Amino acid sequence: MTTTAPPGTGPRTGPDTPRADGSRRTRRQRSPGAPRSGLVFVLPFLLLFVLFLVWPVVQGLWMSFTDSSLALRDTAFVGFDNYAEAFGDPDVWSSLGNTLFFTAVTSVPLVLVALAMALLVHSGIAGQWAWRLAFFAPYLLPVTVVTLIWSWLYQPDLGFANQLLAALGMGPVGWLADESVAMWSIAALTVWWTAGFNFLLYLAALQSLPTTFDEAAALDGAGAWRRLWSITLPQLRRTTALVAMLQILASLKVFDQIYILTKGGPGGSTRPVLEYVYDVGFTGYRLGYASAVSYLFFALIVVVSLVQLRLFRRED
Amino acid sequence: MSATTTPPRPRRRTPRERAGAPLLLGHGRLPRVLAGTALVVLAAVWLLPFVWAIATSVQSEQDVSAPGLSPFKGAFTLDAYQRILDRGDVPVWAFNSLLIAGLVTVVTVAVSTLAAYGFSRGTFRGRRALLAVTVAAVMVPPQLLIVPLFRQMLLFDLVDTYAAVILPQVVAPMMVFVLKRFFDGVPRELEEAARIDGASEFRVLWSVVLPLSRPIVAAVAIFVFIGAWNNFLWPFIVTNDPDLMTLPVGLATVRDSHGVQYVSGMASALLAALPLIVVFLFFQRRIVDSVATTGLGGS
Amino acid sequence: MTARSPAPAPPARSATGPGLTRRRLLGTGLAGAGALLAAGALSGCASPASASGASALKVWDLFQGGDGLLMDEMIEAVAGGDRGFDVDRTILDWGPSYYTKLAMSAAGGRAPDVAVLHLSRLAGYAPGGLLAPFDLDLLAEFGVTQDDFTPAVWARTRYDGTVYAIPLDIHPFIVFYDKDAAGTAGLLDSSGELAPMGSPQALLDAGRALAAATGHAGIVFGHVNDPAQNWRLFAALYAQTGAAFTLPDGGPAGLDTDAAIRVVSFLRQLFDGRTNPDNLDYYAGLTMFSSGRGGMAMLGEWELPTLRKSGIPLGAAPFPQVFDRPAVYTDSHSFVLPHQDDPDPARRREAHRYVAEIIKQSLTWASAGHIPAYQPVLAKPEYAALTPQSSYADAGKAAVLDPPNWFTGAGSNFQSRMCQPLQSALLGHTTPEKAVRRMVREADALLRQPDPVA
Repeated sequence: MTTTAPPGTGPRTGPDTPRADGSRRTRRQRSPGAPRSGLVFVLPFLLLFVLFLVWPVVQGLWMSFTDSSLALRDTAFVGFDNYAEAFGDPDVWSSLGNTLFFTAVTSVPLVLVALAMALLVHSGIAGQWAWRLAFFAPYLLPVTVVTLIWSWLYQPDLGFANQLLAALGMGPVGWLADESVAMWSIAALTVWWTAGFNFLLYLAALQSLPTTFDEAAALDGAGAWRRLWSITLPQLRRTTALVAMLQILASLKVFDQIYILTKGGPGGSTRPVLEYVYDVGFTGYRLGYASAVSYLFFALIVVVSLVQLRLFRRED
Repeated sequence: MSATTTPPRPRRRTPRERAGAPLLLGHGRLPRVLAGTALVVLAAVWLLPFVWAIATSVQSEQDVSAPGLSPFKGAFTLDAYQRILDRGDVPVWAFNSLLIAGLVTVVTVAVSTLAAYGFSRGTFRGRRALLAVTVAAVMVPPQLLIVPLFRQMLLFDLVDTYAAVILPQVVAPMMVFVLKRFFDGVPRELEEAARIDGASEFRVLWSVVLPLSRPIVAAVAIFVFIGAWNNFLWPFIVTNDPDLMTLPVGLATVRDSHGVQYVSGMASALLAALPLIVVFLFFQRRIVDSVATTGLGGS
Repeated sequence: MTARSPAPAPPARSATGPGLTRRRLLGTGLAGAGALLAAGALSGCASPASASGASALKVWDLFQGGDGLLMDEMIEAVAGGDRGFDVDRTILDWGPSYYTKLAMSAAGGRAPDVAVLHLSRLAGYAPGGLLAPFDLDLLAEFGVTQDDFTPAVWARTRYDGTVYAIPLDIHPFIVFYDKDAAGTAGLLDSSGELAPMGSPQALLDAGRALAAATGHAGIVFGHVNDPAQNWRLFAALYAQTGAAFTLPDGGPAGLDTDAAIRVVSFLRQLFDGRTNPDNLDYYAGLTMFSSGRGGMAMLGEWELPTLRKSGIPLGAAPFPQVFDRPAVYTDSHSFVLPHQDDPDPARRREAHRYVAEIIKQSLTWASAGHIPAYQPVLAKPEYAALTPQSSYADAGKAAVLDPPNWFTGAGSNFQSRMCQPLQSALLGHTTPEKAVRRMVREADALLRQPDPVA
């Protein structure tokens, strides 16, 4: 939509010209409630922004240097104790590891599956709205609906997954009970749940691609497969970079479905770092320590974001 | 992205109607058959959990506890739905979800639109710096603020209130940014005319800019609504009273004295899924546009 | 939404073409579904559950299944009549999620009026100001006094001399046995009850005799990936050696490693994987015993309703004494008053009355296997007539609870961290010595954490 913008700052000179008269007062008289400066428009947002974003960011940093507790008692400053403890806490590292593992095993399929869906739907096979509905509908489900449905599919005795294995003559799998399987089961559910979002992003990108190259290549006799690899996919590079970037950041913040399905189990094998923050902060009352763990994780996210931005810039 | 500023908005044609679309598969039979097969298989896999859940929800607990791969193992019954509606908490949570997501959407859209307009047209001091801070704040994941936010709500004595659920959700720097970029592209000639006629800045926004911005405002509203409707973590943290819980939080937290029951579980899941799916069926085009325009931050 | 403008609206709404038919189709199809939901919303408002409104006493617990239904029954019994209660009951998931929500709501100041708490968790709640003390005079007015409880249990209801919890039951970790198998194995006394063991060797022999009698397993114990079972078993046997497990603030943990190694070695020997399986999870252990493929099961008494349904000739006994003295791992469901910022005195009074009235209903509760903490119920002939409950009514006398500290108790991180090394030892992945050393390390690590409730 930025493409429709008038070039440069051209139009801005318009509104600015009256000010050349120096008649600030006349303008006030003209619109008493809204000074031209526009600050008053930003104020409500600014107020909420400061209260519910800046304040917690600062407060969280402060809390990470205290022994703040959920229990009703006084708080004391403890310096870097929480950070020192966090660096030596094996559960911080294992939960960070789980988060990174989850990110790795979800981001790749979430980009590739979504791309495949979009390409297939874009190929023009009849029933567009039905395909879109099928792929995007899961994204509209609240997380608990997803976990309810999948915990039933994964149910050890009667669930679809093990019934299918039984029908194929195979033994049951502990989809959510086996330490080496649980994270994969959650990843599969996550792909099902959220691929539709990336699918729509890809579909929109495909629909706005110029078709001239494609047409020219087709006239030259290039096959569908060839044109996909040589024209369409390269044209989607920027979209792919953006989708992958957003996906990695989204996957790093995983909490909901894991907490509801396994509470981080079995044996801590699926506990993501955000759940560890919840566990030590709320279950374990130690809000200060949880803040420190949050900030360590925040640092990781900032690093990932900056690396991505840098890669992205280079792509451009 | 494709959200046009010029009314009347032409209906975007589906790819099937587009001249270039058949080219993608060429005119050969084989690619078309392969692509069609892949699409059907993929869609079947995607729909399977729904089919299994729906089938389970219309049987009795005894019937579904028979082994077998068939989704229908017993007689059709809507008992589970009746039981859930009688129990009464699912409708209460649905009401809370609607109220909370509705208020979050209204406030977010109002506040973000005003701010975006101020950032786009304003000349106040520190405008660039504030805008830079707002854009940088997009990087702060709200999930990392749960601990200090909860502490803050304890301080304000707001834990277990609607306000506590709603307020932190209305700060949406990304949406401000998306709207601001759109407003930057709205031509200013009309505004100038209105200003010369003595309209206040608010009047200019309301009567001139907003009518031109309906698609983007709708897109932002839809995006915010879906996000708020499905939000789990923060409402889960700040509500303990079941009467204040949203659908996802209530379903994940509160239990029945009977214990785990799969048929009831599926029925309540499907009831909770219904509202947004229905909305999607009616406003598919708008929702798809919304995701496409706001999903990547309007870039 | 807010952008509805007085300016002429662009005619973008007119849906034409294929979209219309589809919409119409869906519209008719879904109108029914919408109506259903709307009807539900209305009927929901009229249902007794939510009609109770603001005046209803809000109570929280973690009882599902058999226990959940019995609690419904007890609430119904006290809710009727002129002086009945209007009760708004909420059930949350057993374990950490329940306790987290309880603490967060108490910290938030809008907590429920009454909640259930395991006595073993009291040390994590009372010192932090998350609970309000009971008014004993008020309770006495409603007919419940200190004399109605055994001193051992009453002692655990207090923190700093103040009473914060009123116990509903005592629920020990016991043994269930198949009466036929035990009879064939010669383990019953003249009255048909399980005869005392008295030594580790006796329990090992009993396992072999039961295995021979069932043709399958002797003693079954499901523990794999369970966050409590191994700890319950260990804590009982360790206490039987006479050693104490202490967790003084700041550490180090006081564990008699020789005694602990003796216990873990014995468990390793007992669950050898042949006579008695060593690799069962909780559910598998339960199923194995209830399907007649095990002669004895080490379980909480709360599994009584499930086991009864299985139809096996069911016997029960307090956890057998195999070391120097009797000891049974127990816990106790109790009622507490979570912290509220501005408690309404009239509601608090009702909360006291409610707790007193429910406790008097605990004969109903006993049918699930729990031992009522309220002694007048225990003395009733109806209770003595309950079998096999009356067989283990004495289990509470040798009660062992978790060492009190803010991080211990039912569903706690402490229990699951104790379980992990024990599980490794039972599965043969590590030696008893190493497992015990790891338990000490885990306990020390927990003690090194700053205490968030002090």
